[in-house]
Order: sequence, then C-alpha cells, then structure tokens
Amino acid sequence: MPSSTSKPRAAHDVGDVAVSSAPPLGSLAWVFARFGNTVFGGGSATMTVLERHIVERQWLDRRHAQLAYALSRVTPGTNLLAFCTGVGWLMRRGPGAVVALAAASIPCSVLAIALTVFYTAWTGHPLAAFALRGALASAIAIMAVTCWTMLRPHVRGAHRLRVALLFVGAFVLASIGGLSPLRVLAISAAVGALWPESETR
Amino acid sequence: MNPILLYLLLLKATITSFSGLASLPIIRQDLVVQHHVLTDAQLNTAIVVSRTTPGPVGIYVVSIGYAVGGIGGAIAGWLAMCTPAFLIIPLVGYAARRVEHPRVRSMTRAVVVASAALLLSALLPLAHDTLTGAVPIAIAIGGVTALLASNIEPLWVVVAASLAGLLQAL
Repeated sequence: MPSSTSKPRAAHDVGDVAVSSAPPLGSLAWVFARFGNTVFGGGSATMTVLERHIVERQWLDRRHAQLAYALSRVTPGTNLLAFCTGVGWLMRRGPGAVVALAAASIPCSVLAIALTVFYTAWTGHPLAAFALRGALASAIAIMAVTCWTMLRPHVRGAHRLRVALLFVGAFVLASIGGLSPLRVLAISAAVGALWPESETR
Repeated sequence: MNPILLYLLLLKATITSFSGLASLPIIRQDLVVQHHVLTDAQLNTAIVVSRTTPGPVGIYVVSIGYAVGGIGGAIAGWLAMCTPAFLIIPLVGYAARRVEHPRVRSMTRAVVVASAALLLSALLPLAHDTLTGAVPIAIAIGGVTALLASNIEPLWVVVAASLAGLLQAL
C-alpha cells in the first residue's frame, strides 16, 4: 500500500504498469476535473476514462486502480465519486481523496444547477413545455433501461430463480406491501446474507 | 425545508443505495410523498438534468436539492451525494479481502437486485403521470429501444425526445 504522507511520493507499489511518482494535488485536480466532468454516459464510462488516464500517467498501477473500481461498486452512493475518492486516497491519502472528489463533482454540480434553472424557467413557455414533455418521456425510458442495466448482470448464470424471487419480493413489498424503500433494502440485505449464492456457476 | 434536514433526508437515500438512480425511491418517498416539498414533475426534471450533464447520474440529487431549497439546498444535495464516497476509504484500506466473502457478495447482490425492483416501483407512478398521450408513449418506447439496441448516449435520446416534443407542437 502507498505510504500515508501528504506529500507527493516517489515510486510505490508496482503492478502491471510501472509507477513513477504520485501526482501533485494541482495536477490531480486538473485530471479529475477534466475527465470527471466531460464524459457523458454515466459513472461506468467516466471511471473507465479516468482509470486509463491515471494509469497512463503512472500515478497508480493498474492493480490498485482496478481495486478501487471494484470496491466503488460495493460502496453506497454514487460509484463514480467513490472511485475518485478511493484512487485519490491511494495516491495522496486524505488530501488526494478530498481533491479528487471535489474536482470530479463540483463543476458538474454547478452545471446541473444551471440546467435546473434553465428547465424550470422555460417550463411555462408553450414550445419549451412541449420539448420538456418529450424530454420527460425520455427520462422514463432512461429509468427503465437503468433498471434493466442494474439487473442484467445478475440474471445470467445459475442464480436466475434466486434473482427473480429477490426482485419480485422487493417489488411486492414496496408496491403492494407499502414498505419504505429503506426497509425493503434492509430485508433484502438480510435475505442475501442468510441465503448465500451457491458457488456453482 | 431546513437545509440540514434536507441533507439528512438526501443522505439517507444516497447512503443506502448502490448506484445513481437507485436512491430515487427513497427520495420520492421522503420529499414527494411525505414532506410534499418536491413534485413528481421536479423529480423528472432532475432526472433529465442528470442525463444532460456529464459525470455521475447521481448528480440529480443536486438538482433536487436546488428545486427544494435553492442554492442552500443544492449544497445540501452535493454534500449528500459526496458523503457516502468516503466510505470507500476503509474498504480500500481494510476490507478489500472480505468483499469476496460469499455472504458479503451475496448480500451486496441482493441489495442491487432490490434496488432495481425499487426503481421499477418508483418508475410506475412517474410513467403514469408523464406518459399521457400517444407521443410521450412513442418517445418512451423509442428511447428504450434506442438505448437497448445501440450504444447511443442518453444525452442524445433526451435531445431527440425534446425535438420530437417540439415537432408535436408545430
């Protein structure tokens, strides 16, 4: 593991890519701001681009970058921001984590506020209302596809029945049983822990 | 709404979900159904914003924060979006080996599957309110088809859908 100093470090843990030195915080901020805020397509696409640039700059070996990628998948919240925090921490510990997280989230947050103002202001205009109605219909499509994207990796292989039961059970508990999402997630987590998947695939 | 309460409510949603829109059901339950400080239309707008903005899909929490409480709400949303990210530090530092433990892996997958079910559960009332005519329904079906059948970026689906809505007006 890298050392805990806040200063740029010399060569550290080497994986399949040679690592020269950890980056200055300014360079770290620039790369995360540049590539964390300009890639469309969601977190997975952005993480892939960021990982490539980090490894190419030899700031972190591929093994550690991929470790952060995998762990970001099981970290609550937004995976991309967990990834940025994780690789930032691996490269420069606390300051690196904060700088990477801030650089990857502040510019796009400002843009999100501006777009919210724009959409809200134009809602009353007849033409804009029609355009927004179309955009909102597309949001439904995006949500539906997101739902499938979340589910798709788990419906392959030997665990389809288990996944189907978990999915239908959670849906029934939420939609028909009226349970809060938090309770549904807690019940699902308990079921997952008490009913582990078999190792055969 | 008090920005601190807003932060805590949004944090409750973000810290118990494992991907961008998975936090949406809890946010809708708290802000739309329970506290009545957000409408389904504003929630939908936030989703559109998140898909026309580069970066994480979870950015819609910032848009929701702004819709509820202005700049203070947006900051609360940004903090709620960012706070869970720090949980990866102890994971990276100490728990990397346990992630592959069968029970932990099984629990994580169960939560992801349940998150998808919750997203579908939250999607249905939003679709009921939004898909109120032939054109919105056609746009939604076309959007799903385009997204599943190609590698098109969601941004272009939103742009095309907006243009389709404009054509309906003309």
